[in-house]
Amino acid sequence: MSQHRSPAPTMTGENTATFEPQLTIQSRLDDLSLVWSWVETLADLYSIPAEVQFAIQLCLEEALSNIIRHGYGGQPNHAININCSRAGANDLAFILEDHAPPFDPLEYSAIDESPVPASIDQLQVGGQGIRLLRKFAGGLAYQRLPGGNRLTINVTIRT
Amino acid sequence: MLISTEELADGITRIELDGRLDIAGAALVDLKMNLIAGSSMKLLIDLHKVSFLGSMGLRTIVIPGRSVKSRGGKVVLFAPTQMVESVLKTSGIDSVFPIHHDLAAAIAALK
Repeated sequence: MSQHRSPAPTMTGENTATFEPQLTIQSRLDDLSLVWSWVETLADLYSIPAEVQFAIQLCLEEALSNIIRHGYGGQPNHAININCSRAGANDLAFILEDHAPPFDPLEYSAIDESPVPASIDQLQVGGQGIRLLRKFAGGLAYQRLPGGNRLTINVTIRT
Repeated sequence: MLISTEELADGITRIELDGRLDIAGAALVDLKMNLIAGSSMKLLIDLHKVSFLGSMGLRTIVIPGRSVKSRGGKVVLFAPTQMVESVLKTSGIDSVFPIHHDLAAAIAALK
């Protein structure tokens, strides 16, 4: 079952509205809808521009769906923790932690190096997620944990 | 996620997508997109009401688009927002399915 987690918010910002900086979802694609409402609350709190909110949602959808489909192999009911914190004056860091077998999504970067398709035959249907993640995230870092994985996604919320 | 179609002159089918083309949104329209693509040779995919596009949403466009082009047809993408267009260009699909922001130019590209 999906749940918001305590403790109470510790982020400091321009607004005192309530925001839980940590969210736990289960490894089901249906649970991604919980993430969207969580991001919308975050965006309201920090007056995040629409295009940055788009980038945050895109990065989280690609990263979380990768964990669900590849890390957990499509098996439901495994926890994924998402934590959001300030990273400097203008950045947010989203830290995704799971308990899946070792899985570094940044290793699956072959498509990132592939040329722009010149014809319909070269147009790849799959594998675009990592390319989008690399494009829209301000920074990415993977860390293998004892019994799990941690992916950190940095996003600049204003320049 | 909503989908509607309109038959234009010269055998052009305009598909208007409305909403978020995230994983859930893509699942709602994939079947209908493929059915429409199966009976059309000139497809204008109107994206101006699409507020979000992720990699699964790209599949929603690429698979039926590829079906039309494999039969010798034509596909254009119309009026994506700035961020949706950025996703399209990052994926490279704009090199296969051209993007137009002017309707007359989009229709002309299909003739």
